[in-house]
Parts: sequence; structure tokens; C-alpha cells
Amino acid sequence: MLDEAIKVLKRSQNSDGGWGAISGKQSNTESTALVLLALRSLDDSVQKPATEKAEQWLRNSQNSDGSWPYGAGAKAASWSTALAIIALHDSSIDVERLVRSGNWILAQAGSKPGILTKLILALSFQKKAVHLNDDLIGWSWTPESFSWVEPTSYCLLALKKMKSWLSATTVKERVEQAELMIYDRMCEGGGWNYGNAAVYGDPLWPYPDITALALIALQDHRERNQNQVSLEVLEKTAETTNSGLALGWSSICLSLYDRDISELRKRLDQRFARTKFLGETKPIALSILAAGEGWRLFRV
Amino acid sequence: MASLYPFIGACNQELRWEKSAYTKPKSSRVAVLAATSYATNGLKETIIRGIKLFGLEISGKRVLLKPNLVEFDPNGVINTHPAVIEAAIDAFKTLGAREVIVAEGPGHRRDNEYLLSASGLYDVVKDHRVTYVDLNTDEVRLIQLKSSFTSLKQLYLPETLFNADLLVSMPKLKTHHWAGVTLSMKNMFGVVPGAIYGWPKNALHWAGIVGSIVDINSSLPLPRFAIVDGIVGMEGDGPLQGQRKNSGVLVLGDDLVAVDATAARLMTIEPRQVKYLELAEEFLGNLERSNIEQIGEDVERFRQDFKVIEKFSNLKKIVG
Repeated sequence: MLDEAIKVLKRSQNSDGGWGAISGKQSNTESTALVLLALRSLDDSVQKPATEKAEQWLRNSQNSDGSWPYGAGAKAASWSTALAIIALHDSSIDVERLVRSGNWILAQAGSKPGILTKLILALSFQKKAVHLNDDLIGWSWTPESFSWVEPTSYCLLALKKMKSWLSATTVKERVEQAELMIYDRMCEGGGWNYGNAAVYGDPLWPYPDITALALIALQDHRERNQNQVSLEVLEKTAETTNSGLALGWSSICLSLYDRDISELRKRLDQRFARTKFLGETKPIALSILAAGEGWRLFRV
Repeated sequence: MASLYPFIGACNQELRWEKSAYTKPKSSRVAVLAATSYATNGLKETIIRGIKLFGLEISGKRVLLKPNLVEFDPNGVINTHPAVIEAAIDAFKTLGAREVIVAEGPGHRRDNEYLLSASGLYDVVKDHRVTYVDLNTDEVRLIQLKSSFTSLKQLYLPETLFNADLLVSMPKLKTHHWAGVTLSMKNMFGVVPGAIYGWPKNALHWAGIVGSIVDINSSLPLPRFAIVDGIVGMEGDGPLQGQRKNSGVLVLGDDLVAVDATAARLMTIEPRQVKYLELAEEFLGNLERSNIEQIGEDVERFRQDFKVIEKFSNLKKIVG
């Protein structure tokens, strides 16, 4: 699978150096960042022209304030900025440019309901739909909306990777609160979905990809009970997981937690043979990262 | 807390739309067609019959089917059933469509391969050699909204919409814990790209769900049609965690307000109590029973009492 996956990605690199969500689509930050990591993980000089072009695309698409949009014409987003930081952290990019990005992320925050909103809710006597601590702030997908698990996980990972370059006090404060936010959103019994454990008392179930991402972001708390319980959930879920995206993130996460992923790698091979991951760039990149030592690029 | 967003949105609404952009029909037609089972071979014929009732010109058109594929629960009935999507693919191809595309921007999951495989849609699109487009990560175009029931003013929409000739909303007949019901208009949340607005399309929740439904539907750049999968619907805490409700019906039409009003009546829900339908009626389509010509089966024959969560008990105050 590995050789074919690499070929697919190399063939689908756009002339501008980036990758789209699928072959032939406009380059975007998420796909390009993950492919850059995947190709770099191969530690193969043959990949250098492709990775240099990808780095250049990321440099060119960075906004002057340090942020990255998802794609051309879109507004800057914390999650795409975090992915670009993760991808470029070990590259030859100027540290000053990444520091600007890190500070931009630190200036972003998920929104929370104002006092008036809370008051109206209290007076409406409505049954509370979700039970989460909305005072805990992480990062949102888009400005002026709520904090969710996936963007917060990317931002945590990026900040933990570059914390020595940023204000220690600010990073510590944001990281601690964001970690609390993720733990607060954990599903009953462990694991995470997009960010609600239950709605109107009905528990929602964890997703393997998001559980893996949250655990990757929280890897420096591996002894915590929530991590251990969620790790068990991930291992259990991985037994029946059947998609490149979920198997890819699960493999990277479980490697970071020193688990054996040989079975997951086999399943990634089988799945790629059957569906080619729908031709989607992201799971193909993740499968390359999972196939070798790529998981080390997510270590903090 | 999230339950407050529709309420806040509603409080902030100003009734505004570009009057020159809309000509609300004096009356609309909605077809209610019996379809007892997903295993029935006649689904394709039923859908063809429904499309023909509206005189739609399909020949040579690129038709975009937009099912509701938001999440998967092996024990649930969350998504538009793949048998209905398959029958619609067959039907539009039989009627001469140049191309049929299935497209969705799932609201909760980013894992398309999982959703398609688990729901059964993967085999359908593969067997019928139909393209599936993930609208969440599609290329986008920024448009000016033609109504302002939210403060959004502009909206990014997937490029795939601009390259199609007909958008067919294919929702599941469901109650919804934020919007009351989720039918052909609410289903359009799925065309809004997650890569820009996040999952679960949270920016729209903050802007106000009710207003967002109206603003999206008022501004889509192509003609629309609706095929509601009501063979098995969902009542209670929908759109994910409600209970199945056998209804044995498909609802079709080219006025999405009228389709949703009729589908609401099938659930014994008063459409005028559904905020977004009440607003949409002002300029997008017909809600009043007297302005909707019912074709096909009699609604009364298929009417079921769909349970709603407590906060939507007002939906059960039937006016007419």
C-alpha cells in the first residue's frame, strides 16, 4: 500500500505545490500540511522536491498576521493555522514567522454565551440541552463560535510543540484551560466525539478519529485516568473501525502511547485496497504516517 | 445552552429579503406517495411518477442529490435510506439526466469513508458509477445572501452547487431538537462547507438556526426539488437519538416550504408553529393548506403522531 499511496499523493500534487481534499481540487492548508508531514516521515531524499514545493505553498499562503486560512479566499482559522505550524515546525521556515502564528493562535478563543444569554436561558425554564462547562475555552472552527474538540486538539498540539518560543505564562494558561475543556467534553465511558457528551440526557458516542486526536493532544498526561479510559475505548473501537481516516489517526495515537498497531496497519492496507479511501488526500497521508515512524512527528 | 441559540436567533431577526428576487407562487402542489418498504422494487417507479407529476424537465440536466447523511448509528434511522437514494439515481437517469451526483457535507462526522460505508451509500454510488462529492471540503464561492434573517450577510457555498442544474433535497422525515423538524429546508445545512463553518456547522447555530435555514434556502443558486424519505421516520429527540416511526410515505414537490409543511402535517405537527416555515412562508413558498394542492395519496391516510421533545410541545397545537 505504501508505494501506491505515495504515488497517488505525488501524482495529485497541484502545480502550485499544495494538495486539495481530493486530486484535482484547489490546494488547502489541511491537506498540504498532512501530506508534507507524510512525505517528510519517509526520510527519503527522493521526496525533497515535492516537500520543498509544499513548504513554499504553505509559506505563500500564510497571512501577514501569521495565520493560515483553510483555502484561498477563506478567512483565517485557528485549526488550519495549527496544522501549518505542526507541519512547518521542523522545517527551515523562519522561527519568527511561526512565532507570529503561535501568537495569533493564542489571541483566538472559542466564544461563550454572554451573561444576557445565560439569563434568558435561566428564565426560559427550558430543560438544559447539554451539560458542559461553557466557561472553559478552547478553540473554535471559525471565529465567533463555540470551542470544539478537534480544532482545540490541533491548537494544543501546535502550542505544545512551539511553547519554548512563546510567552510561557500565556501558553500555560491557555493550554491548561483547553485541556480542561477537552476533559469536560469526554463521552460517558471515555473517548470523544465532535464535542458533546450528551444531548437532552441521551449519551452520544465517541468517534475514533476525534478520540485519537484528543489523546494525541493530551499525550503528556498519559497517566491520567481519563486518558487511560479513553485509550481503552480507542483500542476497542479500532477493532471494528473501517476507514482510512479513523485507522490512520488511531494508529498514530496508539503508537504515541506505545501500543502495538501491526493489526491496524494490516487493516489500513486492506481498506486502501478496497476503497482507496475515496481518493481523499487526508486519509492517504495519514496512512503513510501510520505505516512507518510518522507518528513521531506528533510527539511533544 | 445550545438550545438557546435558536431562541436568540429568533429574537434578533429582522424580516428582510430582496423583494425583487422572489415571486412566491399563489399555490403549490405537493405529492404524497405511498412507499411501504425500502425493499420494494417499485421505489424507482414511484419516484419517477412523482417527478412526472411536476413536469420537471430532466433531460440533459446535471442533477445533484443531497441526502441527509449526518451521522451513523447501527440501531438508529438517522440518514436518508440508501435504497431511496439509489431509486432517485435510477429515476433521474431514466428520465434523461446528463449526470447524477450525490453530495453531502455531513454535519457531525468528517469521516466520509466511514459514513458512506456504514450507511450503505458507498455500494450505491460505486455500483451506479455516480460521483460522491464531500461538500464540506469542496471549493467554495462567496455569495451575498438575499435575505437577512441572520447577521451573516454573506455565505460560502460549494462550487459543486454552481455546476448543477437541479438540487434535490432528500431529507429523512424527522423531528429535530433545535429546529422542531428537519425536512427539505433544514437539510440544506448540509450544503454549507464544514471546512469554513466547522462541525457541527456551529457558526450557523450561533447566527441562529431558524434564521440560517431561511437565509440559506433564500439564496441557493439553482432550482430545487424535494424527495422526503418518510418510509421510516424519526420521532422524539431527533435528528440523531430519536425513535423510528414507520410512515410508509415519500413526499415530493418543487416548493420546499409546501413540502415541509405537508411533511409536518404528516407528523401531526402544526407547520405554522415551526418558526422557519412561518418565516419562509412570507416570501419563499406556501404553508397554508388552502394554498397547497395535494396530489397523490390523501395526507390523512398516512398521518402519524410523531412525539416531540418537551420544549417543542407547541408544535402539537394544530391549527388546521
